[in-house]
Amino acid sequence: MLSNIAFYGAVETGLIYGLVAFGIYLSFRVLDFPDLTVDGSFPLGAAVAAMLIIEGFNPWLATGAAVIAGMGAGAVTALLNVKLNILNLLASILTMIALYSVNLRIMGRPNVALLSEETVLTPWYSLDLEYHQVPVVLFTIVVLVGLVLLWRFMKSETGLAMRATGANPRMARAQGIATGAMIVLGVALSNGLVGLAGALFAQSQGAADVTMGVGVIVIGLASLIGGEAVLTPSTVIRALLACVIGAIIYRLAIALALNADFLGLQSQDLNLITAVLVTLAIVLPGVRTSVAARLTRDKA
Amino acid sequence: MITATDLKLTFGKGTPLENPALRGMSLTVNQGEFVTVIGSNGAGKSTFLNALAGEVMVDSGKIIVDNQDVTKLPTYKRAGRVARVFQDPLAGTCEGLSIEENLALAIKRGQRRGLSSAVKARYMDQFRTSLASLNLGLEKRLGDKMGLLSGGQRQAVSLLMASLTPSAILLLDEHTAALDPKTASFVLDLTTQIIEEQKLTALMVTHSMKQALEVGDRTVMLHQGQVVFDIAGKDREGLEVKDLLELFEKQRGLEITDDSLLLG
Repeated sequence: MLSNIAFYGAVETGLIYGLVAFGIYLSFRVLDFPDLTVDGSFPLGAAVAAMLIIEGFNPWLATGAAVIAGMGAGAVTALLNVKLNILNLLASILTMIALYSVNLRIMGRPNVALLSEETVLTPWYSLDLEYHQVPVVLFTIVVLVGLVLLWRFMKSETGLAMRATGANPRMARAQGIATGAMIVLGVALSNGLVGLAGALFAQSQGAADVTMGVGVIVIGLASLIGGEAVLTPSTVIRALLACVIGAIIYRLAIALALNADFLGLQSQDLNLITAVLVTLAIVLPGVRTSVAARLTRDKA
Repeated sequence: MITATDLKLTFGKGTPLENPALRGMSLTVNQGEFVTVIGSNGAGKSTFLNALAGEVMVDSGKIIVDNQDVTKLPTYKRAGRVARVFQDPLAGTCEGLSIEENLALAIKRGQRRGLSSAVKARYMDQFRTSLASLNLGLEKRLGDKMGLLSGGQRQAVSLLMASLTPSAILLLDEHTAALDPKTASFVLDLTTQIIEEQKLTALMVTHSMKQALEVGDRTVMLHQGQVVFDIAGKDREGLEVKDLLELFEKQRGLEITDDSLLLG
């Protein structure tokens, strides 16, 4: 079984990836916009926050700047798609690749340590909590605030217009919705959330690294799809809860798999396990129906 | 009022598939008029409607809606003046959203959308009364997903959505063509009822000559991207499908071979 530290660590990372899953829910589910920018906007958020913290800025201010940087990255992807008519997936890959250079430029080196700096977590350590519980408490609050704000937004006039844009763009235009503007806003918001996740991750791990974004999209998708399997996302609030629950379950499952010695798995196997899990989650429902179809055909 | 002047539009210009869809189409629809539009496949009916709505941009010509030149405006900027019901019953609504959310989208057609709650308590009375007028019991199912409704029910709701806020013109694009005969006649009755009650200006494309003569107060026939005849008032009264055919042959020296037009 998991040690206490491993358990809290998994929940902490799960909460951060819950924010990523919110972003991916916005792009993939609400807007039907497959967006890989997140692999670049996650380290972008980390880099911006880390550099500002090192420069002596307030860590919350640095985190806010990371959100804005993420939104900018998302807006670039969306504008490439909306204004220049580049396929959405390709537009996001272009931004993602460009961000690798941008992130190196921002940090000036491949990684930046934050070990002795004041972060958003610093004041919370004076509370009467165990050391490894502190990030869990703070990030739970951040995720809950994000969840409520997103939920309210999705229920607002603009949020509803955004949902219509993804679900039925022709109908949306006929109702006077500027679908292009909605895509820019939605993808920007999505990457703002991912930038926030990157900033918090850097502060809780004590470093920002240019490679920390590799596979964020897949982990986020794994969280989203896993959460949807557990909690049928029939309403917005359920879909948002599914993001967080899926992310935490995913991190716990990974922690368990890596801890189970008889499996012989090591931490470098993480990305392989993730890819296999996501593939299974996507394919399994289809396999079940096609097997069922074959069985009934044989009977007939 | 809506005025289209000398609209020209060619698809696939300079390619072997070059297709002149509109070749100088002109039409004025006056305030309160209900015009039915007929024509065989490829006559330019749908292209004309799409041009009015802004889904396609014309190569030349001018479109004026309520004294405003909208020729260059995209669909969403015309939506405040131009309401639409599509042929595909699934196209006019969002199946993943509830009935009340769909209506809430439509009640803000062409208006600014802010951050206040989309489904407001003060809309509810209007939503319930208009849904009750359909006699489908939908007023008790405001929270149900649109996807749970049948094609006919969804088309009826699309029609309500298009008439929830005032518009300069209501465009109906063969909106009963994809429905079974019984549902089609229900939706058509509903259409004439809404248009009469709210005194709407409407343009209805239909594939059926019979339908084109039965409803509305003016009939326009398109052929090869132009208006071939336009009849209203006394000339139109008592007219039958065979009279229309004669009229068409006289005008063009052509025979109609599109069976679906004759049989519809």
